[in-house]
Amino acid sequence: MPLSIIVPDRRAETREADDDTDRMSAGNPEADYILGGGFPADSINIVMGHPGSGKTIFAEQLIFHNAGPDRPILYFTTLSEPLAKVVRYLQGFAFFDEDKLGTQVIYEDVGPQLAREGAGALIPLLREAIRTLSPKVIVIDSFKAVHDLAPSAAERRKMVYEMTALLTAYGTTAFLLGEYTEDDILLYPEFAVADGIVELSRRRLGNRDERYFRVYKLRGSRYLEGAHAFRITGSGLDIYPRLVSPQMPEGYEPASERISTGVQGLDEMLHGGLWRGTTTLLAGPSGAGKTTIGLQFALEGARRGEPSLYMNFQENPTQLVRTIRALGVDLEQAQAQGLDLVYASPVELQIDSIIVDMFRRIQQRGVRRLVIDALGDLASAATDPQRLHDYLYALVQHFAVSTITSVLNFETTGNTIAGSGMQNAMSYLSDNVLLLTLDGQDETRRRLRVLKTRGSAHDTRVREVEISAAGLCILE
Amino acid sequence: MQSPRPDAPVILIADRDQTVRELQRFFLDRAGYAVEFADDGEAALERARAAPPALVVTEILIPKIDGLALCRRLREDPATAGVPVIVFSILSAAPRAAEAGASAFLRKPLVESVFVAAVNDLVAAQPTEAMEEQCRSR
Repeated sequence: MPLSIIVPDRRAETREADDDTDRMSAGNPEADYILGGGFPADSINIVMGHPGSGKTIFAEQLIFHNAGPDRPILYFTTLSEPLAKVVRYLQGFAFFDEDKLGTQVIYEDVGPQLAREGAGALIPLLREAIRTLSPKVIVIDSFKAVHDLAPSAAERRKMVYEMTALLTAYGTTAFLLGEYTEDDILLYPEFAVADGIVELSRRRLGNRDERYFRVYKLRGSRYLEGAHAFRITGSGLDIYPRLVSPQMPEGYEPASERISTGVQGLDEMLHGGLWRGTTTLLAGPSGAGKTTIGLQFALEGARRGEPSLYMNFQENPTQLVRTIRALGVDLEQAQAQGLDLVYASPVELQIDSIIVDMFRRIQQRGVRRLVIDALGDLASAATDPQRLHDYLYALVQHFAVSTITSVLNFETTGNTIAGSGMQNAMSYLSDNVLLLTLDGQDETRRRLRVLKTRGSAHDTRVREVEISAAGLCILE
Repeated sequence: MQSPRPDAPVILIADRDQTVRELQRFFLDRAGYAVEFADDGEAALERARAAPPALVVTEILIPKIDGLALCRRLREDPATAGVPVIVFSILSAAPRAAEAGASAFLRKPLVESVFVAAVNDLVAAQPTEAMEEQCRSR
């Protein structure tokens, strides 16, 4: 199913579409997915990024995952960080396995020898390591430091050429870590010989940092392009592959079933409810009743045995539970029937992690109805308007293909939907658009109008609505 | 590096890549073999005809006579028809190697355990002169 496109553990799927290249797992299902199944085996790869970007953690996660009793993994530390420091911090991660250290994973500090003898000393060190250890993986951290030791460009090129010849002749997968920048890719010879180049970057955003994983090059393999957000956790890198639009399967047809909104009178206005698999933009100012309609829609789903997900960025869990109970709903029963309430604080939002978390839940629970309350919070979580637009477009496509019926709440500044680019874009992307308004004089008087329903006629009148203990209903 | 025993089986290698040669020599030396190199297919054929080695290892991409043609020519000549040949190439050419009469095909890069095991198996399957001598004396 197309949803599997962004959820981990899809290696079999991507492998199938790839060539017969053997792969080495990055020890991270999301990274493997982005890499089309992992790094090509017996290849030379560069992991680049500024200090503190997560290169060493990425490499260590990879080596401890791949370490086994057959052939060891060799980790050369050079002149970037002393070995003691690298190993000390390594022990805090969940992937660290003390039993493998010294036998299956061998750390070697070659910094002093390189400092004494220069960059050329790397070649005999590698040759000796291949002869004595037969390593299946060699990590050089940092290779940029070795590069910087070479007295001239000519010496550097010679060293890189000899290293490449050696690493290509012998069956080993090499990872060269370095504090490179994007400009270095065009200048330094190691980039020309690398089979794979991945970058870890960090961007400051207000008082938080955003980190991104990006593949620049992967010979003989397709990969998922673009910047994929990640966080560093106690398990290593937690990567969120960028959401891409699904492939529309051949013979894809919109569902032909109407479903109830759970709002009294609204199904009639829609001439029988919402088409299953459609996306509805529910717009209106604060206090107009968007959350109530969203909850009624999700609760109606649960009542009918349809797993329903309510993604909430507006009200904290206590407030939301109170709102639900005020509707006379037995929350525990609704949750047992399939209602999943998720709250994420707007302060901590990062759009990529939200989307990945949402899709994991959708897949795990077989969600049929989804409410996002509200889109504006997703907008504030996205640093790049184009990225947000791409995400929303891909989301709507995923929902359509998977016949998930969604309601996306959007807070307007007044009683009109026209205005910002995002509102216009969402009106265009959505199948249905409903607008709630508040009376300018009497804010307890609310109205609802159906502005658009794709593939259906609808009641075009402005209808008065009322919110009571039974929820929101359309008045006669 | 210690010099091989005088009676060590000879492995003839046809490959132009110096780094590959160096690694092959090191691992085969360590496994108890004597190693000789030829720069092209013609030189390899001549050397094999003059004194059949215990085994030939050839890359496909070598000058004058390519590795697959070398393999066929060795098979055609009664003096070398019984010499096992490993085609060890950067090319993915297992079916073509089998068609040319190769005893085994290995794809580069070199992995010591795989390479030496293949050499050991094929050499062990061949009756050595010493063994033949023993048989004759019985």
